[in-house]
This record gives sequence, C-alpha cells and structure tokens, in this order.
Amino acid sequence: MKKYFSLQIKLSSRKFREIGIHPILAIILLISALIALSIYIFKKTEFAPYIIVLLTLSFTTKLAEIKRNEFLKTIFKSNQHIKIRIIENLILAFPFLIILLFYHSFLAVGLLLIISIGFAIQNIKTDYHFTIPTPYFKKPFEFTAGFRKTFYLIPLAYILTVISISVDNFNLGIFSLLLIFVIYFSYYFKPEEEYFVWTFNSNTKSFLFYKIKTALLHSSYFVVPILLTLSYFYFSEIWNILLFLIIGYSFLIFFIVAKYSTYPDEIGVVQGIILALSIFFPPILLVIIPMLFSQSQKRLNYLLQ
Amino acid sequence: MIKIKNLTKKYGNKTVLNNINLEFEKGKVYGIVGENGAGKTTLFRCISGLEKFEGEILSDFKPLKNYIGLLLTNPYFFSRITGREYLQLLCNARQVEIQDFEKQNIFDLPLNQYASTYSTGMKKKLAIMAILLQKNQIFILDEPYNGVDIQSNLIITELILELKKLNKIIIISSHIFSTLNETCDKIHLLKKGELIKTVEKENFQDLEEEMKRKSIGNKVKEMQLK
Repeated sequence: MKKYFSLQIKLSSRKFREIGIHPILAIILLISALIALSIYIFKKTEFAPYIIVLLTLSFTTKLAEIKRNEFLKTIFKSNQHIKIRIIENLILAFPFLIILLFYHSFLAVGLLLIISIGFAIQNIKTDYHFTIPTPYFKKPFEFTAGFRKTFYLIPLAYILTVISISVDNFNLGIFSLLLIFVIYFSYYFKPEEEYFVWTFNSNTKSFLFYKIKTALLHSSYFVVPILLTLSYFYFSEIWNILLFLIIGYSFLIFFIVAKYSTYPDEIGVVQGIILALSIFFPPILLVIIPMLFSQSQKRLNYLLQ
Repeated sequence: MIKIKNLTKKYGNKTVLNNINLEFEKGKVYGIVGENGAGKTTLFRCISGLEKFEGEILSDFKPLKNYIGLLLTNPYFFSRITGREYLQLLCNARQVEIQDFEKQNIFDLPLNQYASTYSTGMKKKLAIMAILLQKNQIFILDEPYNGVDIQSNLIITELILELKKLNKIIIISSHIFSTLNETCDKIHLLKKGELIKTVEKENFQDLEEEMKRKSIGNKVKEMQLK
C-alpha cells in the first residue's frame, strides 16, 4: 500500500514536471488558488459549503471510475483495495475539509466525509452505454463530449440563478452566469489527438475562427436564458450584466487560443500565469488573445497548411 | 499522382525511414508490407503530413493532406461521442454535407451508441466509414483488416476495389497476405526503414513464399516445443 502511494506521488510529480513546474511549487500554487477561491465563494454566497462539497465530488468521482477500480481490484486484495480508495478520497478531500472546518460548516464536513467514504466503496461507471442527448449534435466535439461530462452542473447554475432572484442577491446571479462559462472553459483544458486537427481542410486562421465561432454559438444556448432572466430582474444592473457577459465570452476565446498555443502539449504554467493576470485585469485579454492566436497559428502550422 | 523523393525520417539519432523513393498513381492499389517496426506507419504519417521529414513529396493534389483519408491502426475516439457524431465531426472538417448517415451505414454500426464503447473491429469500421464519407481522393489504410470480422473483411475488399474503379489512389498495409493479393497492383517491401523490394501482381506468390521462408526459417523448430 505504501508503495502504491509513493508511486502515485511519483506520477503526479512527473505530470507537474511535464508541464514545466516544480511539484512543490505546484502544490503551493494549488493550495493558494483553493484558499483564494474559497474566500471568494464564501464572501459571495451562503451556499458556499455546498459548492465546496460539489467541487470535491467532481474530483472524487474521477477516482471512482469503474475501469480504474477494476484494475485496482485485480492487483490488491479486496480489503486493501477499499482501504486504498478511502485513503485516496480522504487525501483529496482533506484541504476542502479544513476550509469547511475553518468556516464552521460542520454539516458540510459530515456530508463530505460520508461522500468520500461512500465513493471509495461504490464505483462509478463513467462510460455509459446509453447516450445523453445534447443540443450540439450538428457540430461535435468539444461541446458534445463536454456537455455529457458536465451536464449535471448546468441545472446547478440555473438553480443558483433562481435562488439569486428569490433572495435578491445580484452577485449570486452573476456567479451563476460565470459558473456556466467556467463549465465551458473546462471543455478546452485537454488537447485533442492530432488526427482531429489534421483532418480539417482549412488553414490555421480559418480553423481557429471556426473553433471560436462554434464555441460562441454553442455557449450561448445555456448562457442566454440566464442573461435574459438576470436582465429582466436586475434591469438597473444591465451594464454590469453585459460586462460580465463580455468577460465570459472573452475568457472562452482565451481558453481556445491558449489550448492551441501549446498544441499538441497541454496548457502549461505560462498560460496559467497569463490566466491569473487576466483574471485580475481582464482588459489585458485584448492584447493576450491576439498574441495567443498568432502563437496558435504557428503551433498548428505543421498540421494545417 | 504522388511522388516520394529521397524521404528520410529520423527520431533523434535513429533513422526510421532511409531514402525512400516511391510513386503512387491514380486508379491503383499499393501494398506496403514489412515486419513490425519496419517503418510502414511512419511512412503513412509522413505522406499525410503528420510527421516532418527530409526529402520531398510531390503531388497533383494541393495541399496533399486535404485529399487524404487516413485510417490509423488504432483509430482514436473521444469518450462521449456517438458513432454518428464522429462521422459528423469528420464530415464537417472537410465541409461534406451528409443528410442521412443511416443510408451509408454499410457495416450496420449502432451509430447512436458512444464510439468508445465499440469493439476494436467496430471502431475500425466506423473510422473506415468516416474517411469514405469524406469523399477523399487518396486512401491510406494502415491495417484495415485488423480485428474486423470475416463479413466486414469481404466488404472492405469490395470497397477497395470500388475505390480503384473510381480512380482513387489506395495505399494499404496489412499482415494478412491474402487480402493484399486480392486488392493490390503492386507491393513494396520495407525492412528496417529501407525499401528493399517492389513486386508486381504476377509475382505476389513468390513474394509470399520468400517472406515465409525468411521470417519463419528454422525459428520454430529451434524452440524444440514438446
């Protein structure tokens, strides 16, 4: 068991080194980001503990994936396998538990502990044989595959919109709008296989424009209802709503060009730093997006002449 | 036509393909054979523009890659994309409009099911169907018969012969000699990255015999199985 965990540490360190960041620095950055995010969420909404629980849940479900667990079962004795899974989930939940304890959210702590142990015992099948319908069938793939992975988060964003109106909390409404965008950003974290870029018979510029156009159109399917609802109920805040809408779309474009600016490698630490800078000062995107666009063209040149 | 002139591909110090010279004409089927690691897949990747190389590839089709339908040995599928969506994605990429995929579904694939849940053979059939729908001029098929059932094997052979009639260029690699025998006009033999022989249709039988002799030899007997 000890060897298993040291191997996991080795694998994670390797992954961080591959994206060009020292593992210790990566851990410090991740913890800092987590603390900053938690402070932000707890400041903005009373539902923060539940958002934290959901966030942890999204990580633990990855470890509970059926193929991974079947493999673990074949190499470990059954009680050892369950022990490993419980420890893994608790390690993952640990930073979140500390945050929840800090904010005295004891109910959420209990809930998180139950979920962490529950998911260690119960495996989750992530590759279903039934097909989840999506509105994006005409232009696969980022939104089609992404929607099927994250579809349960979209109603959550809509629930937050409804709550924001019922408790008259404008900030929570904006949070729900941004949450939808964050879900879309996640569709662009991983680069696709070269074959799926190579097969396009367009040049780099039109390929990137096609990707951006599709993303803007497809993201609007779930953004527009929230936008209209917020605009109706908070009409006096219309300019702020539009500002956040523009910010959301801009970051969506940022993620597309950031993904291809490092293609076929994954988004690296440089893009992470640029992202952090852009979050603090979004107008910088006006410079960054064209810059990353031109970098993307260079990176895609060998596949799209 | 595709003309490969002095193509060399190196990975670091290792030469994977050495000074390859080949020509592929319209309306002909070409077989590329060789042991595992002989450089067949690398050659396909070079022709398709997926790899950088030394030398030249000349063609009437410009840019060449836009006319190629490439079937990889192990086609990749996203985890939550259905067969239909995979076809749609590949058709969109080449601006080909298809209204009804079901009519074109010659392998009777469950197109509404996630492609990642397909068996190896079904995945291969879906990938073949996609490059056919793209209406390509050149077909590079890396191991098209691998993992595919016998009925579909027959269909693939028929498809290749039909593509030949349509004046397309078809380049195949296969470990199953009989399939090459049926479809190819010429077979090129690669060994350790070098093109060592080109054989015309009338001499395929000799090539098979020679390959058998060279690759098997006394190796099995030397194992002294009991």
